[in-house]
Amino acid sequence: MEKGFGEKKYMVELSEREVEDLRNSVKATSLKLMDEYIERMKKTWPNRPKIMEYFDEVAKFFGTREKEILKAKEEGRKVIGYTCMFAPIELILAADAIPVRVSSGIYDTTKLGNRIVPVEVCPVVRSTIGVGMIGFSPHLEVSDALITPLTCDGMAKLSEILSDRKPVWTVCPPRLKDSEQSMRFWREELQSVKAKIEKLTGTKITAKKLKTAIETMHRATRAFRRLQELRRGAPVIMGRDAMLVNQTSAWDDIERWTKKTEELCSELEKRRQEKILACAPDTPRIMIAGSPALWPDNWKLPNLIEEANPQGVIVADEFCSGDRFLFDPVGVDEWTMDDMFNAVAERYLLPSTCPCFTSEDGNVDRVNWLKARIEERRVDGVVYHVFRGCMLYAMEYTRIKKALDKINVPVYYLDTDYTREDVGQIKTRVEAFLEMLKSRVEF
Amino acid sequence: MWLEILSEILKLTVFAGLALAGALAILIWKRDLKTKVSYLRFFVQAAAMAALFLLFSYTNELLYVLIVIILLTLFLGRLFCGWLCPLGLYLDLMAVFRKALKIRYWNLPDKLNKLLNKLRYLLLAFFVALPFVLEKIEPWQWSLAKFLMGPFKPVSVLLGPVEPLIIPWESRLKFYGLNLSYPYASVIAFYSGESFALANMFLFIALTLASSFVVRRFWCRFCPTGVSFAVLNRFRGFRWIPLLRLNKVEEKCPKCGICKRVCPVQVLDVYERKGGDIAPSMCMLCLRCVEMCPYEECLKLNMAGRTLFKSRNWLEPSKIE
Amino acid sequence: MIVAGLDMGVQNVKVVLLKDRKILSRGLAPSGFEPEKAVEKAFQEALEKAEVAFSDIQHITATGVGVELAPKFDSKISVVSADARAAVYLHPSARTVIDVGAEESRVINCDEKGSVLDFALNDRCAAGAGAFLEAMARALEVKLEEMGALSLKAKGTTSISATCVIFGESDVVSLIHKQEPKHEIARAIYDALAERIVSMVHRVGLKPDVILVGGVARDIGFAAALKRKLGTEIVIPENPEYAGALGAALYAVENLGGR
Repeated sequence: MEKGFGEKKYMVELSEREVEDLRNSVKATSLKLMDEYIERMKKTWPNRPKIMEYFDEVAKFFGTREKEILKAKEEGRKVIGYTCMFAPIELILAADAIPVRVSSGIYDTTKLGNRIVPVEVCPVVRSTIGVGMIGFSPHLEVSDALITPLTCDGMAKLSEILSDRKPVWTVCPPRLKDSEQSMRFWREELQSVKAKIEKLTGTKITAKKLKTAIETMHRATRAFRRLQELRRGAPVIMGRDAMLVNQTSAWDDIERWTKKTEELCSELEKRRQEKILACAPDTPRIMIAGSPALWPDNWKLPNLIEEANPQGVIVADEFCSGDRFLFDPVGVDEWTMDDMFNAVAERYLLPSTCPCFTSEDGNVDRVNWLKARIEERRVDGVVYHVFRGCMLYAMEYTRIKKALDKINVPVYYLDTDYTREDVGQIKTRVEAFLEMLKSRVEF
Repeated sequence: MWLEILSEILKLTVFAGLALAGALAILIWKRDLKTKVSYLRFFVQAAAMAALFLLFSYTNELLYVLIVIILLTLFLGRLFCGWLCPLGLYLDLMAVFRKALKIRYWNLPDKLNKLLNKLRYLLLAFFVALPFVLEKIEPWQWSLAKFLMGPFKPVSVLLGPVEPLIIPWESRLKFYGLNLSYPYASVIAFYSGESFALANMFLFIALTLASSFVVRRFWCRFCPTGVSFAVLNRFRGFRWIPLLRLNKVEEKCPKCGICKRVCPVQVLDVYERKGGDIAPSMCMLCLRCVEMCPYEECLKLNMAGRTLFKSRNWLEPSKIE
Repeated sequence: MIVAGLDMGVQNVKVVLLKDRKILSRGLAPSGFEPEKAVEKAFQEALEKAEVAFSDIQHITATGVGVELAPKFDSKISVVSADARAAVYLHPSARTVIDVGAEESRVINCDEKGSVLDFALNDRCAAGAGAFLEAMARALEVKLEEMGALSLKAKGTTSISATCVIFGESDVVSLIHKQEPKHEIARAIYDALAERIVSMVHRVGLKPDVILVGGVARDIGFAAALKRKLGTEIVIPENPEYAGALGAALYAVENLGGR
């Protein structure tokens, strides 16, 4: 456990032994599970390209990527974790630090989180707390500091709780993003984070460095968009695999990730030309909207959809860990420090369709985003995935349902938790939904 | 003699315009499409300068020139301001100069910007009235002025920014036999009287250039010529006329704010409006917003229903058709 | 052409035999701990009634929550699709199907062909299904079969909430202590369950005609409560608990090419 952190505001005392035991058991389950899920993905997609193995390797926690980060740390580089996609990755990269996403998708640690917060709290938050308690996640543990955007209630308190373990730098996105004063406020939030990054790393973020970082992320976004583009037509990639590639971008060395993703895309483009498909072309095309499904444990729903009978293929998702993560580029007008910084600030606030935003006519940007994705990816049906305790996504459901009813796209509301016991029940629902879509496709 | 100089100048201008066009064409090819429209615009602006020179050398019936421009505006919106106006070229060049020095620009507060936009109408009214007032107090010395102060006095003011760098008639600013000019130069010289003409001209040049160095296209925000072009399109009955329309698809727009930030005259409508045709009187159709919008086919420039230019994922290298 | 539909319910296993899209016979057996035996028993009953042999069955389609436990079947289909098919078969103008089973309840919108347009299932808790009634009858100390008739005598002077079976029970007990008449409590119980079903109906939209199937449809108290809350007529077919099995059998017919 870290030293130099005085009074524990939230954390409970665990004996060394208990921590050790828990860590070992959670680690054993997770490793087994990650292997199993990768195997299942391979099984569903028999002609899975070889290049996917690279992403499998990055996705395996405690593997080569963790060793690489630890080595970089020894060489003096800093690791900056973030809990949510509002953290400005360009600024982290510009200071030559390593950005990693730390919000956890591990089921077993939620039980630990229950010792500190009630079970009604969003499971991502509980799981991340549990991870923090036993120092389990390879990403949270290696972070020198955390950028914690205060988006929803869960994230706000998670930030406080994690401050018992790591230095946290809060950034607060305004609830209303459309006014000049919220933009001003947000810019100042990011300015203060920038100063903190500079102080921790001892590197001044100069215009040149920021430009390099923005260009690096442009390349990443380009590869990312290219991959999403490939999910438009007849399925050449299974949804789970695309989602895995999307998620690994949050842990991997971004330049290498970009290179590998481009390679994968080239392979897939070739397959598209040769009409080598990942599954039958009339497979119902699903979009998962709502709360993010995080690797590894929360592959539950994607697994069910793509292994169901009749099978579905996930062609789009709305996750801040998925389709939305790198989709928007930083649009720099003039390469001056000010304009670059403003462009970075705007990129993280304005195009975000997080349900934490509102306005006088509702979160209309989100409705538009969903509609645009549904149109371009030719989505047959939407599964609206909500965690118990994820208030914002749950409350916006009615709005989304009404909007999608108008364009005649069926949507199914599916609430779940970080638990494996409801797999059977979810399966019934998912299969009924897919059957319904299948019969619609046939008509 | 007169004709000789004229043909010399003509050749020179055309040559300069073509040379610039060639250099820019190479740049367009080399750089990705991201900056395509911006470079293309410089090329068109330079070519327009040569064209204006030609136009002025064949007619000094300025009224006809004005009518042509107004008709053009009626059908094409303020395309003239963004793509053809010589003053616009100078102001854009100042921005290029500023960018090269890596100095930031300043934005006017939106309220002030809107105030300036309203001020344009007042300014227009003032300039139209001014010749009538001055007629009573100032003696006329300059031959062209006699024409200007004839039945179409406001024409010279309205055509102020249209004066090309080299004019086919006598000017105050001479450079190796070339008659140089600057927008509004002749108007200023005319109203300033003999002794202050040069000083006032240089003051005006310095002010417009310096202001646009700090604030992008500062002059254009209250330019009376611009507003006189746009004024017609403000009336409901004329709204159907413009062939060029900036169009936004609501669903494809996640409101990322890039269009708002990159607009040189700080037009908010493109960002704020939900979708459909957008034609605010401030928009000069410079297309910077369309060029910088990273969402495919979200923003478009349509001409009579056909899409001329549309936003694209500019992270992908361009395929120039 | 003889086909079979097999519904692996939580409480009962149901079998429907069809011959040329006409119902030949039905069979039912409690699920118990050995699903294989239950399936065998249900089949036996149906086959005996129809006087045909198991080998005469050309196609078996299985459905139901426990479909994985079915020992032998040729195809499977979800309960939702099965219900919709059965509903339109039983009552051609049915557009909203309400199926209240032992532990699951479903509301389905379908078209004239029996294709599902939209559906909602009760959330993971059993408080929105038949198990709730069973537990409440136990708390009220009346037989489940009698509770319906009992509730019809009531005027509706009290209410309980059906957020949870456990809390519902303590609600009932405290009403008994307050000496609320039993028939009023019975009605309150039906109202609470109906309220949960109605909220599901509104999630998918109420389109007439409404048909009520599933084991609980036999309960007159519940049917009356639902009718009150929805404000529309409700069609209750004969043998409503066989809807799932019937839908599965219809799917088997489709599978063999006879639409």
